[in-house]
Amino acid sequence: MALRVGQYALVLAVAATINFALPHLAPGDPITYLYGGTEQGLTPAQIDELGAQYGLDRPLIEQYGAFWSGLVQGDLGISVEHRQPVVDVLAEHLPWTLALVGVSTGLSVLLGTLLGAWAAWRWGTRRDTAAVLSVLAADAMPGFWIAMVLIAVFAVQLGWFPSYGATSIDASGAAWLTEVAQRMALPAATLVIASLGGFFLLSRAAMVTVLDEPFVRRARAAGLRDRRVALRHALPNALLPVYTNLTLALGAVLSGAVVVETVFAYPGLGRLIFDAVTVRDYPLLQGAFLVVTVGIVLANLVADLTYPLLDPRVRRARPALEPA
Amino acid sequence: MITRTLRLALSLLAVALLLGGCAGGGDRGGGADPDRLRIAVQKDFGPLNFITMSEDQLLFLVYDRLVAPSPYAREPRPWLAKEVRQVDPVTWELDLRDNVTWHDGRPFTAEDVAFTVEFMKTAKSGTYTHHVTTVPRIERVDVLGPHRVRMNCAFACPFLGSVTLAHLPMLPRHVWSTVREPNRHTEPPIGTGPYRLVSYEPGRAYRFEANPAYFAGPPRVRELVMPIIPSPATTFTALRTGEIDTATGEVPPELVAQFEATSGITLVRTTPLQYPEVRMNHLRAPFDQAGFRRALSLAVDRHELNDTVWLGRGRAATKGYPHPDSPWTNPNLSTPYQPDEARRQLDALGFRDTDGDGVREGPAGPLRFTIKVDGAVPIRVRAAQLVAEHLTEVGIATRTEALDTGSLASLNETDDFDMYVNEITAHGVADPTQFIMSHYSGYLWELPDRPYPEMERVIDEWKAAPSIEARKAVSFRMQELFNSAPTAIPLHYPEGVLAYRPEAYDGWAESPGYGIVHKWSLLPRPVAEAANALTEPR
Repeated sequence: MALRVGQYALVLAVAATINFALPHLAPGDPITYLYGGTEQGLTPAQIDELGAQYGLDRPLIEQYGAFWSGLVQGDLGISVEHRQPVVDVLAEHLPWTLALVGVSTGLSVLLGTLLGAWAAWRWGTRRDTAAVLSVLAADAMPGFWIAMVLIAVFAVQLGWFPSYGATSIDASGAAWLTEVAQRMALPAATLVIASLGGFFLLSRAAMVTVLDEPFVRRARAAGLRDRRVALRHALPNALLPVYTNLTLALGAVLSGAVVVETVFAYPGLGRLIFDAVTVRDYPLLQGAFLVVTVGIVLANLVADLTYPLLDPRVRRARPALEPA
Repeated sequence: MITRTLRLALSLLAVALLLGGCAGGGDRGGGADPDRLRIAVQKDFGPLNFITMSEDQLLFLVYDRLVAPSPYAREPRPWLAKEVRQVDPVTWELDLRDNVTWHDGRPFTAEDVAFTVEFMKTAKSGTYTHHVTTVPRIERVDVLGPHRVRMNCAFACPFLGSVTLAHLPMLPRHVWSTVREPNRHTEPPIGTGPYRLVSYEPGRAYRFEANPAYFAGPPRVRELVMPIIPSPATTFTALRTGEIDTATGEVPPELVAQFEATSGITLVRTTPLQYPEVRMNHLRAPFDQAGFRRALSLAVDRHELNDTVWLGRGRAATKGYPHPDSPWTNPNLSTPYQPDEARRQLDALGFRDTDGDGVREGPAGPLRFTIKVDGAVPIRVRAAQLVAEHLTEVGIATRTEALDTGSLASLNETDDFDMYVNEITAHGVADPTQFIMSHYSGYLWELPDRPYPEMERVIDEWKAAPSIEARKAVSFRMQELFNSAPTAIPLHYPEGVLAYRPEAYDGWAESPGYGIVHKWSLLPRPVAEAANALTEPR
């Protein structure tokens, strides 16, 4: 256990270093965005002076040292674009992404798995073929296109849902919750449609295999009802690959859904990162990448720790795999 | 059984979504509330610290200028000043209004004016600092009384009343004198303007409330909510659904026809004082030769660009630099398309195709160049491709290279380019003093480090010109000189198309350089007209 935690700590340290280096490797800096550059009348000397105010004139290794020094104190610096502490900006945007992508991932898993099991139960029938074709067609559609179709139908034509944002600026209490739910409906639906396919196919394939297992045949032969056989005996055994896929997807939750957040002007982490790249907002990029990295590492850690609980074969196999 | 469960789950989901959708309208709907307007803005401009790049349309809801409405208007009028008079070529006296208060209730006085000018000298604001340190250079501000100041310039400053003072926002001394790091100041701005910024949510929205004590009378709309919506497609969908009432951004060309046919939405055609241009790297051979740059300008077919890329919306940029609709631009400028003349001039400069491959050679080898362009703006990519074709036709092999927005912005400072397509704003192409400053800052030239004797002579004349008319005459010659060997080639003078929902508010009107969303649209019409702030309807 300690070894594993150490390994993850090392991965985090290396990832944090890469996160620091990547934004600095791209050409440009935030000064032009912030102050307008020579086009607006700043001279090169003034631009250099402004860069110095943001510490951009310091050697990269010194900036790297300052980055780690701040990191260990929980200080990720000040966002150049928003002129606020990075921690505050992330705290403002992270919950929206967690809510949006969390809800949509949960729905994708639930619907994809159940639909996959349903299709597997009817494997080879017309219904199965129709389900596979429908889900694959949805899976092949780009997220932004799904978003535009949903907006055109449900926001413009039917007027059921708002087309942008996460909430209105002055809503509060129950009205705020209603606002949030309404505004989340279309982006979440977009993500669900776009990501349903993976879970559906995994669930269907695993279920088809499990349904052929002797214990399923025996359960059927024992006269158990189809529903009980499917939900109590077959499905739990088919969930392992779905669970693996889910843990990987959970890591990606924090990186948000850039395209969907942009189309719906949703104030999540994905759009924040996209804007920060344009502005070359180094502190914000480093902070956001760090959050994403930590999310992915944690998801992997959770997967590592929980998989043996779900699959006893992993527990039993381990001693045999370890060197003497 | 599973079928039944699935049906149930799907039915529940559908019901939940329907209930959610029908459970109330939030702040969407017809927008009939006359007290509030919802205006989409495309970018997050931070907490409106004037030192950094902010949107004037938002900033000057909060702040006022001594002279209104802006340097881009033909005849600006005194605003926070009651009277502005030039005493001699280098001296101005201003009488200020005595009924103006800051948003926190403190009175606006001559001390604030003197402080603002001194503060701007050290503020390092790209937009404002040079107006007090370089062109013009305000050496001293004397407070002659609670509401009277005198300004002295280092050289003649006939534009002070109509350009400089029509540009600088007035700052409260009691606030900014205590700010230790002005560049990082994030408190809500305190101005004298018709609106107060009461809420800023990073990446999400701004909210302004009317200043009931505004000296020119309270604005017509009590509250402005401005959601930040970067995508034009999302913005104009929200306008169509009635979730917003208007937007600061322009309607994309592909949506114009659709919006023209949409009831409940009105389109306004404006003249944005900005344009896309190809900037040449005059530090790099052979762009360092005036004749070479002239030949390039002759080779670009602006009419084809206007017709093909911009579908005829706007005008071909055949009048060069700066913007022809600025009151400070020589109306007789001409930058024609003459490819044969371009070929002749290139031949005369010694750039000839000696090996017959269609590409001219110079002392450093074949003329092969790259035009860099922002890959996120397809219309500019297409323009760059067409310009590359035009140049290739006269024997200058040119290709385009798409960059991300951040990398393209860095070219301004790194000089790592042959040519690139940039969108330049009103401050750059409609402010006559910025045209001079761009020759010092490195954008159009790098004076004094990089000599340009001909231009320097004209600038010296410009500095000595004592009156507006004399200075305009010199400005016109300076513009002719620039266009004879440009370092930036305007490609297209765009037409702006803005849209709003008239049932929500019908008071929108264009102000030069600012579209329709600005404080003048929100003030009683006689007030805006008294400031000469509105463009005649087109």
